Amino acid sequence: MAVALTVPRTMAAMKLAVLRNSMSGQKAGSIVMGGVLGLVLAGGTLYAAFQSGDLLAAAYAVWMLGWIFGPVFAGGGDETLRPEYFTSLGLAPRRLAAGLLVSAFVGVAPAISLLALSGLVVFGVRQSPAAVPVALPAVLLQLAVFVLLSRVAVAVMGLALRSRAGAIGAGLVNGAILAALGQGWVFAVALGQTGGVPAGASAAVRLLPSGWGLTAVEAAGTGEWGRAGLALGALAVLVALLLATWAALLARRAGSVKASARGRRPITAATATGAVMAKELRTWSRDLVRTHQLTFAVAYGVFFAAAPLVLGWNAMLPWAGPIFIIMAAAMSANLYGVDGTELWLTLLSPGAADVRGRQLAWLLAVGPVAAALTLGLTSVTGGPWPMALALTAALLGGAAGLVPLIAVYALVPGIDPHRRGNNPLRSSEDDGAMTGLAYAVLVLVALTGAPAAVAAALYGWAGVAVGVLTGGLCLWGFGLLAQRRLHAQGPELLHMMRTGKRPAAKPGSWARFDDLPKREQIITAVCWSLGAIPLFPQGIVAGVLKVNGTEDRSWFLALHLPEALQWPVIAFMVLLGLGVYGLGLWIPYRRRTR
Amino acid sequence: MTPALEIAGLTKTFGEKVAADHVDLTVPPGSFYGLVGQNGAGKTTTLSMATGLLRPDGGSARIFGADVWSDPSRALAMVGVLPDGLAMPERLTGREVLTYLGLLRGLAKDVVAARAQELLSVLELDQAEKTLVIEYSTGMRKKIGLAAALLHAPRLLVLDEPFEAVDPVSAATIKTILRGFVAGGGSIVLSSHVMALVEQLCDHVAVIDRGRVAAAGPLEQVRGDRSLEDTFVGLVGSSDTGSRGLSWLSR
Ligand SMILES: Nc1ncnc2c1ncn2[C@@H]1O[C@H](COP(=O)(O)OP(=O)(O)OP(=O)(O)O)[C@@H](O)[C@H]1O
Ligand SMILES: [Mg+2]
Repeated sequence: MAVALTVPRTMAAMKLAVLRNSMSGQKAGSIVMGGVLGLVLAGGTLYAAFQSGDLLAAAYAVWMLGWIFGPVFAGGGDETLRPEYFTSLGLAPRRLAAGLLVSAFVGVAPAISLLALSGLVVFGVRQSPAAVPVALPAVLLQLAVFVLLSRVAVAVMGLALRSRAGAIGAGLVNGAILAALGQGWVFAVALGQTGGVPAGASAAVRLLPSGWGLTAVEAAGTGEWGRAGLALGALAVLVALLLATWAALLARRAGSVKASARGRRPITAATATGAVMAKELRTWSRDLVRTHQLTFAVAYGVFFAAAPLVLGWNAMLPWAGPIFIIMAAAMSANLYGVDGTELWLTLLSPGAADVRGRQLAWLLAVGPVAAALTLGLTSVTGGPWPMALALTAALLGGAAGLVPLIAVYALVPGIDPHRRGNNPLRSSEDDGAMTGLAYAVLVLVALTGAPAAVAAALYGWAGVAVGVLTGGLCLWGFGLLAQRRLHAQGPELLHMMRTGKRPAAKPGSWARFDDLPKREQIITAVCWSLGAIPLFPQGIVAGVLKVNGTEDRSWFLALHLPEALQWPVIAFMVLLGLGVYGLGLWIPYRRRTR
Repeated sequence: MTPALEIAGLTKTFGEKVAADHVDLTVPPGSFYGLVGQNGAGKTTTLSMATGLLRPDGGSARIFGADVWSDPSRALAMVGVLPDGLAMPERLTGREVLTYLGLLRGLAKDVVAARAQELLSVLELDQAEKTLVIEYSTGMRKKIGLAAALLHAPRLLVLDEPFEAVDPVSAATIKTILRGFVAGGGSIVLSSHVMALVEQLCDHVAVIDRGRVAAAGPLEQVRGDRSLEDTFVGLVGSSDTGSRGLSWLSR
């Protein structure tokens, strides 16, 4: 018994120690940023708990999906303690899983989720005090379900990524699910405007495991104790099942990822750039994580654009190509980081144009599929040709230019591929920064399509010329900048990857987020995550609604006020939002190193 | 004669820790130079700064007169480097790695193919034709790294722990290759912990201790009439570390 308890306790203590160390180190920045963002979301969830059960159930569904898909796309999840650390101790798989599970509850994400789940208690109290004894175990079981689902998802992905078929299959499934969710959100907004969540959706979000806790609390609130017990029991059984599954998967984790056993075609290139291209293309096809990412991007684009077909509406089909390009760019955001210290070879051959080779390889990997999607699907709908072609050209060039540029300017140090252990998704220790980078690329690449889109909307076919032009300029110009940076800062980038740390800021530059004192980090993070609320929904959107004379005031503060005050309040909100963002910029600027 | 490698005052500080403290070394052309030192003495740091992989805080490094930091294209073309523990293009096979690197170095296609074939068969890596580098063993990684360093026929080799994790048969092969390289007029700098190996191979030696050069010069001169190991322990070891045992292990 003593031993049975010591294993989890020791592991939890280990995890705490590691977390404490990382809070004084480089990861602190991402942890604070993620923590503040999580707190905002948890606050939103608690707000939902005061509103309606449907809303709360939907919010928990989102939390669950975050737990499942977050790690799959953001570097393999929390791996502070890895199963491999304990192999030599000869623990039974279930004991190991139990120990790891306990330690999995130690951390920022579980703490924030616990806060969000305390909405169940809030909801229970609002219904009837009798529901509280049910709400408390429901919170804990629900959290266990989230944490375990996340672990099982990572373990399943780890297995899937051992074969090409598995990688492609997982990419298709993940792409389909996330695209459906993306579109589901659009549907929800559309339905929301006609008032209320439809009955089907309200039942569905309660049927998901994320809704079982709420079901139990609701049942207890109305005195249906049998139903409440059933829901709690179902949660407990699910936890046991997931734990058993995870234990079984952990035992299979031994042995690292096999590379794909495809026929090896000899490299036929004759130039340095050609050699870089050949190497990159081989990496794209042989690294099953990249195979998964590309398949995911294709599936996401296609399913996202095809979802409205269910409603008999096909006008979105031409956008599959552009969406695929943007997704593929986001997936390859850390282009240099994922190769790790391999960069030393590039440093030793200063004459070779590494960036150009990578750009061409990226274009070769993504371009043909994107072109096929755009041409094929636009001919299904019969247009709009200028817009589809303009966007495809502009985004392809924009992405091929921006991806290497951002990869060298905002490099997130990766783990060397041969040191990744048995979790192939784990390409960096700093998954928070990786996620941020992916989103930044997503937004910036989308922006490179803007001029072409505007031109195509205004002047039709001229937009295609604009797209080809801006695409070519981005490809050439950003590539040149990336190449320069690579030459000028190569040793620093290599050092960063060797140590896994970003170096201290150079004199004269802005203070990095990581180097700010913790208090200012928190303020900055709050500014960045909350600034959008006054600026967009309360300011700009409210203004647009007012101009359109919409009746629905929902939560737009200004629209609830007397007519004379509405415009001033909207203006104030916009200024407030800008001010908050400005503060978020000013803090690191003020602290710039001299 | 221009030294093959001339390091003057190389300094590097990591935070508080001085990893290299005004390191001066002169590697004469045609010499086989051994760098010895305890774990953490600063060998890797010094060799990285000398080959353009780590920017020094101060000092300079010249390869056959060309400054590594101000004239990298010329300096780096003359050197082959085997760093310790850095990644390779992991998803390529051994042959593909050599092809890629040869082309990157600007060699002609057929030259690369012929040299790659020869290196792979001499280093006995050609049996693993279908294996990707990521699946290589530690010793195989060292060997493909050495092949990569030799590929463009450099005049100077800088090797960080080239014999670590290499089996005795392969070690013998590598020794033969390296001796042949020096006999053919090339120069080698290698770091190692194995004194016997350095004594056996090298004609020059430098002892690095806590970021400084404790002794440097021709092997005979540095070790005098003692063994290199005794000299080394005398230079860097404190008086009793070698003789202390672990009390709880004796029965
Ligand atoms: N990135 C870094 N950050 C902080 N300290 C470092 C870093 N790299 C090296 N050091 C420190 O610098 C010193 C020299 O390290 P170096 O790797 O050069 O030693 P070495 O002689 O190669 O050792 P070994 O024989 O173990 O390979 C060590 O004390 C090490 O802790
Ligand atoms: Mg070393």
